[in-house]
Amino acid sequence: MTALPLHHYLVVGAILFALGLIGFLARRNLIIMFLCVEMMLQGVSINLAAFARYRGNLQGQAFILFIVTVAACEAAIALALILMLFRRKQSLDVSKWQDLREPGEEPTEDVEPLPPAPREPPLPHLTPSGVEPEHRREESHV
Amino acid sequence: MPLGLFSAVPTAAEWLPLVLPLLLGGAAIYLLLPRPQAYPKSWGACLGLLAVVLAGVLLTRSGTVSPETLLFWSFSALAIISGALLVTQHNPARAALAFSLVVLSTCGLFLLLAAPFLMAATIIIYAGAIIVTFLFVIMLASQSGLSDADDRSREPLLTTITGFVLLGTLLFVLQHYHNRMNETAQAIDRLIEQTQEVAALNSVAAMDEEVGKPGDEEELFNQFKKLFPWDDLRHKAEQVGRDWSGINRNDARAIEQSRVRLDELIALAKTARHRLGWLPPAEDTPFSNLSGPPPTVEFENVRRDGHGLPRMPADNPAYLGRSLFGDFLLPVELGGMLLLVATVGAIAIAFRRS
Repeated sequence: MTALPLHHYLVVGAILFALGLIGFLARRNLIIMFLCVEMMLQGVSINLAAFARYRGNLQGQAFILFIVTVAACEAAIALALILMLFRRKQSLDVSKWQDLREPGEEPTEDVEPLPPAPREPPLPHLTPSGVEPEHRREESHV
Repeated sequence: MPLGLFSAVPTAAEWLPLVLPLLLGGAAIYLLLPRPQAYPKSWGACLGLLAVVLAGVLLTRSGTVSPETLLFWSFSALAIISGALLVTQHNPARAALAFSLVVLSTCGLFLLLAAPFLMAATIIIYAGAIIVTFLFVIMLASQSGLSDADDRSREPLLTTITGFVLLGTLLFVLQHYHNRMNETAQAIDRLIEQTQEVAALNSVAAMDEEVGKPGDEEELFNQFKKLFPWDDLRHKAEQVGRDWSGINRNDARAIEQSRVRLDELIALAKTARHRLGWLPPAEDTPFSNLSGPPPTVEFENVRRDGHGLPRMPADNPAYLGRSLFGDFLLPVELGGMLLLVATVGAIAIAFRRS
């Protein structure tokens, strides 16, 4: 039995990093954008852990602990910012904040209409079965 | 560049295996990204699964199937598939769950990489704290029905191309480096075998014939010299070659002396074999040995386990603690400070003035 080469772990880390990058660039929901950033950090962590393993040294693992610390700070600040932004515009869409773009840039306009929301099935109407018994009024003990 | 990493022309064997998984994966992500008139989900899903399987077969080939490789494949496939789900999912709550799957499978990979403390810490921090906070925010900001934020993407084509060009570059460099290291390593191994055969001969004349004439291209010492990407080893090989020619062939102990020289050459080759892929720091850099062998220790002097991998300290949390509070004391204090500042900042930002 031979051990896996280092190269395999680096491939997985690179794929996670690239997927996170695509998500961060393409998605418009603030929360999903931040989740994608966290996924990029996971890809980097796999790289560090793999290098630590193939060197027999714990420094890579110590670096991952710092990544986790900074990610926790980032999540705290980002969620606070998201809450504040949501209070201002009542939406998590980043494109609502495109007034902040560079002076020469064209604004993004959504031309294609969203499809109509699927109609929710109405709640079932239950016919009462039998006759409702008379309730005895309980006297208050107060 | 000792290995000629950026000078050599890429061969077809290096870039061909990358093209198909990358194209299929890019097409899958492009089809699956949310947009108002969505493509059928099954097309993207099929393409994506095909890309993952192809990438597994072409990029992470490994000769044997063992529990370790099986676990590696399943954890990484789970991580990649749930990562793709996170990127393409409409519903933010489901995206958060997909993210927790990514974290869990990354933790599996951490376990395979002998990092149990990190596994536990990551599960507790990410899957516990961060996901709960995210779900809390999603609940606060939940909207009814479809919205622009969840059902549209910014420039799906351009972002997919950007991401996959980056991925292709990373994978190509990895593949290239891996192959090149393998080629040099195999060549060194062949030469070591050849030298051992020469050393087993029992007359100096036969040895001389095998080694070749001094100055000849095909001479054993010259072959080693050409192969070594490091100057100090090259000089040492040259020195050994000179010593070899300096042996008095008529001496009674000539054969012992020749064997000593050949053994020196084999030792040099083994040093080179272990140095491949090793970028040593400057020799006078101060390193402690609190977190395992410091990077200045030559790779062949690191203790190894049965699989030929460096041995990790058995007591992972204890050694990690020693490393953190020995090597990284100042960064740990700074990290604590950062957490405090982030907490204060988060409260200050989110505070609602009535």
